This record gives sequence, C-alpha cells and structure tokens, in this order.
Amino acid sequence: MNAVSHRFRTLRSLSAVSRHSLRLTQVRWSRYSPEYRDPQTDKEYYRKPLAELTEEEKCEQELRKTQLIKAAPAAKTSSVFEDPVISKFINMMMKGGNKVLARSLMTQTLEAVKRKQFEKYHAASAEEQATIERNPYTIFHQALKNCEPVIGLVPILRGGHFYQVPVPLPARRRRFLAMKWMLTECREKKHRRTLMPEKLSHELLEAFHNQGPVIKKKHDMHKMAEANRALAHYRWW
Amino acid sequence: MATPSLRGRLPRLGNPRKPILKPNKPLILANRVGERRRDKGEATCITEMSVMMACWKQNEFRDEACRKEIQDFFDCASRAEGARKMRSIQDTGESGNLPPMKLNKLLQRFPNKSHV
Repeated sequence: MNAVSHRFRTLRSLSAVSRHSLRLTQVRWSRYSPEYRDPQTDKEYYRKPLAELTEEEKCEQELRKTQLIKAAPAAKTSSVFEDPVISKFINMMMKGGNKVLARSLMTQTLEAVKRKQFEKYHAASAEEQATIERNPYTIFHQALKNCEPVIGLVPILRGGHFYQVPVPLPARRRRFLAMKWMLTECREKKHRRTLMPEKLSHELLEAFHNQGPVIKKKHDMHKMAEANRALAHYRWW
Repeated sequence: MATPSLRGRLPRLGNPRKPILKPNKPLILANRVGERRRDKGEATCITEMSVMMACWKQNEFRDEACRKEIQDFFDCASRAEGARKMRSIQDTGESGNLPPMKLNKLLQRFPNKSHV
C-alpha cells in the first residue's frame, strides 16, 4: 500500500478502447490552473500584527497580494460559528448534492442533543448538574473523538491468501472512519420510520458516554487487531 | 562502450550464414523505461504497538486507561511517516538519474519515432 496521499482523487472513466491502448478521460476536473492558490478564510491569520510574523509568513502574505486565488466554496465562511468537523460531517451526510437538507438535519440533530441534555439537567440534582454537558458542539466533538479507532486493519496478499494486518492509521483516516461508522449505524441499523436527527442525537449521546454500537464497532476493530498482532510483520512500511 | 554491431546477425535474405540473433520484438528503443526495484522496508512501530496491546489486554480495551501508550504509538507512527517522506524525497533527488515516472513523462513528450 503506497503511502503517497492524493489530495484530489479524480475519477477516470474509460471512453474509447483503441487497438493499442485504453484511453482514460477525466470525469471530475477543476477549471483552475495549477498556479491558483487555496483561499485563506481564517481571520486570525490576517489579524496577526506585523511584528509577530516570521520571515516565511511575511513572504506568504506578500505572495498572496499578487498571486491568483481560487474562490472559496459556498460552505466555507470566515464566521466564528464555522467548524471544519461539522462541515465535513454535513458533506458526508449529504445525498445527491442536497446540502440544504443535510445542513438542516445537522442543526436539528444538535438541537435535539441540546434539548435532551437540558431535560436531564432540569431533572437532576445539584451535584449531578455540574457533570452534565449541555453544549452540543462539545458533545459532538467528544463523541467523534471517542469513536476514532487507534489502529486499523489492512488486507495484505501473502502466499495466495489475504491476511488482515494491523496498521497505524493517519489522523484524517481515523476521523473519517469515526464519522462513517456513525452515519452507517444510523442509516442502516435503525428502524425505517425514525428520523435522522433523532437517531443521530441518540447515537452521539451514547458515544459521548463511551457506550453504544459505534464504540462497540471500534472495540471489535481493536480486538481483531490484537488477535492478528503476529501478522504485523507482513507490513513493509 | 559502443553498441555491439548488428552486421550479419539477423536472419535476412541477403545473409548467407546462420542467424546469431533471433529477436522476438523489433530492435527499437521503447518510449518507456522499466520501474526501479524498490527495496522492501520492514514494519515500523512494532514495539509501541505490542506495548499498547498489552495495556489493552490488562484494561479490557478501555482507551482512557492506556492514554500514554496510545500517544506513544501515534508519535511513533507520525515519526515513521515523516522519515518515509524524507527518504522518498532524497532518493528521487540524488544518484544522478531521474526517477522512472518522470523519465517516462519526458519520453512521452519527446518520443523515439519508429515511423517516418
């Protein structure tokens, strides 16, 4: 498994099969040429006083004044409420490009989480009230962090058989797996008529307390890795 | 060293002797080079992983009990990743020749014309 990371995985389709070679055309491409730089929406980057900047940061800022910059996508803002984890989760929840629906489901989920926590808060005694977390964003982040696997399994072909070899995962893969497991669990394992915000809020709260099916899936992965730890030498990276 | 001569080596009508060479492909330079034989590394971070798994076995796979071991494992993994990146950058930069992928791209742009 090559560890080279591709930032953009472009899908190629077979268009014409000629006599000598297979012709591949790109299906998804960008209208920007390579010299375009990514936009910087972080306000703190621009608010830093000139004295605090290092040489390379000064150079970067000078460069940004003259070089071409891509337009920021509609979902990316410089608002204080912007959260990259939540944006990523909304994108993963989105189906068929319906971002409006995905975003509304997300806000309804966070509201549901907040309502449940407030009900618990008002029903609890004074010393329990201190332990109940009511901010839905912290609950969301903590739940996803609890669901992240520490180690992953990769099928490696050796002697005609595929063995599941334990392998350390990069951070973005861990975050992706946590979100993917959460969404799969909510979409497939629940009753058909329950709405997504209800299912998701329930799962997020369970994951926040280190219980529930997503945490169980993470533990199953860890147990398989632990069982196959002798195969770790099949790795070559 | 110059290319060895092809005079009288191939089976042709004008050649009276037995052929020395019987090539199964045309003797023309291709527009690609073969891949470099990459040496297979060994698995990294085995010790950290085994320490972490021992901790898991003792504490029933709870993550909060094994924070330190897990952090060590992550640090080792990121160090190994960084080392691998440095090695690949250095390898492709030095030793005189271009890496095969770049050479193939160059040859695609300036190919050897075997036709007229």
